[in-house]
Amino acid sequence: MSQFKKIAIANRGEVAVRIIKACEEMGIETVLLHSEADIGSRAYRMATKTICIGPAPTAESYLNIEANINGALAMGAEAIHPGFGFLSENADFAEAVEKSGLKFIGPSAEAIRALGDKVHCKALAKQAGLPLVPGYEGENQDVAHLVKEAERIGYPVIVKAAAGGGGRGMKLIKSSAEAVELIESAQREAQSAFGSPKVFLEKYLDRAKHIEFQVFGDSTGHVIHFFDRECSVQRRHQKIIEEATSPSLTDELRRKMGEAACAIAKLGKYKNAGTVEFLLQDGEFYLLEVNTRLQVEHPVTEEVMGVDLVKMQILTAQGDFVHDPKQIRAPRGHSIECRIYAENPYMGGVPSTGLLGKVSWPEGPGRRYEYGFEKGDTITPFYDPMIAKVIVWDENRPRAIQKMIRVLRDSVVFGVHTNIPYLIEILSHAEFVNGKMTTRFIETYFADALKAPEMGELEKEISAQVLKALRQNESSDVLVSSPWMTYWRGV
Amino acid sequence: MEVSVKIKGVEHKVQAELIGTELWVHHAGRTFNVDTQSGRKSRKKAAGGKSNQILAPMPGKITKLLLNPETVVQAGQAVLVMEAMKMEYTLKSDIEGVIESIHCEVGDQVTLGKVLVKLKAKADT
Repeated sequence: MSQFKKIAIANRGEVAVRIIKACEEMGIETVLLHSEADIGSRAYRMATKTICIGPAPTAESYLNIEANINGALAMGAEAIHPGFGFLSENADFAEAVEKSGLKFIGPSAEAIRALGDKVHCKALAKQAGLPLVPGYEGENQDVAHLVKEAERIGYPVIVKAAAGGGGRGMKLIKSSAEAVELIESAQREAQSAFGSPKVFLEKYLDRAKHIEFQVFGDSTGHVIHFFDRECSVQRRHQKIIEEATSPSLTDELRRKMGEAACAIAKLGKYKNAGTVEFLLQDGEFYLLEVNTRLQVEHPVTEEVMGVDLVKMQILTAQGDFVHDPKQIRAPRGHSIECRIYAENPYMGGVPSTGLLGKVSWPEGPGRRYEYGFEKGDTITPFYDPMIAKVIVWDENRPRAIQKMIRVLRDSVVFGVHTNIPYLIEILSHAEFVNGKMTTRFIETYFADALKAPEMGELEKEISAQVLKALRQNESSDVLVSSPWMTYWRGV
Repeated sequence: MEVSVKIKGVEHKVQAELIGTELWVHHAGRTFNVDTQSGRKSRKKAAGGKSNQILAPMPGKITKLLLNPETVVQAGQAVLVMEAMKMEYTLKSDIEGVIESIHCEVGDQVTLGKVLVKLKAKADT
């Protein structure tokens, strides 16, 4: 197959930017399929061409299959990359894209149906004899029936969106008293985020680690894995820190889990990038789900494996990517990713929206930034709160942690609050440093909002002088006297 | 912009910017912001404790009203649900009392700090 000349991107934010960068490197033009709210965004500015496919609410734009396909066709694209989230794991979308004559950059609709729908995936895994967490994956979505099933499984139970990801449509039910409210809430979130209210139930493992394997099926259908990531640090069931490789696996466990990951991908006749997620508790692992798309945390794998997963995805969709055994090597060093969310860590993590001022990321070796927003962009309440990803690489885990803390301290985001102080606290916690964190790490050690540090005298003086300097449009050597000083002293 | 200030003879280099009435400063690994009108550290505080009203703790959309006016509520009882950034947040009553009035509808896109529900405390009823 000849090389794509123009690829449409059915997504936004940092992942849209990531795909545009890969396309630029490959000499491929891009078309950004965007909502009205994202006019002028970084991805909008970077794409070769853009087309508005609808208003801000996702159901009317990013989740609208017809609008996405029509936009791509109108702009002369040959393929659509769905990124992650939105329609990336929607089999109907993949099928409609292919029917329209465009190429879907991802697995086939059949593979998404077999593996991407968590309920079908579990059925397939059962056939293959893979260990599963006990639960309910039935078709009966009546709330009363789901409550009955939750009681059969035994609390705590976790309710999840069948088509979900990113922590949306996922709730932990600790007792029957809160079951109805949380199941209904999960169904509403699932409908809002993924266009389907379908949920399923799982026994909640309370000391588990979240370990996942990056799998990749090439154009011939040959599946290999690119080792593992640990994503145990989660807030509201949403990952916030990911690393490659996991500090928790022995060589033997790594081998077994890698084989299981490839086995399930092969059963689903998998081509393109995917992730097989496991829970690990007391040395036993259980299949959690398969994500039939690129993952948010793919950069940590790229850093330790020296590969470009997005480029490989595009080449696979073109039909000309085959794994080269000589190029496949063991992971090297250690990589950590932190997700930067627009939220206030001092108010329990409530979303923080507004106009972005200065945004800057410190440069240096082994640092990588994936971001979709810059100064002048507005963070709206319509979409996911993730505004950037910070990724570091170093020779070993302790050095990578040290580097990440330094990088976060030197990163500047003005205009909205971010979780950066929260991330620094986590990275400095002994449990994290020792690699002992479980999926309950945050609720165990960081249940309450961080206490906002009081402004010291120095900070008050600095603020006062800086304000004066800005107002006078000066930038150096401002003398002390300022009417603001009295205010700061009174804080 | 980078601003250099001298305090007690020591030079401090900071990143700083005025956005609206808020001054944002990055110094020694920490970002903080100050409301230049009040001179206080800016919190954009909304949903206050023990309040007889429920305020929007963030901008977002009202997705569900769980109770009607005149309904008796317990402290900690869920009153309405809102959504922002694809996550649901259930807003609860701080006090025991009665719903006096509701100032929003399902589907409304509300701003930070908007009064959503007013309550009458049990002691006042």
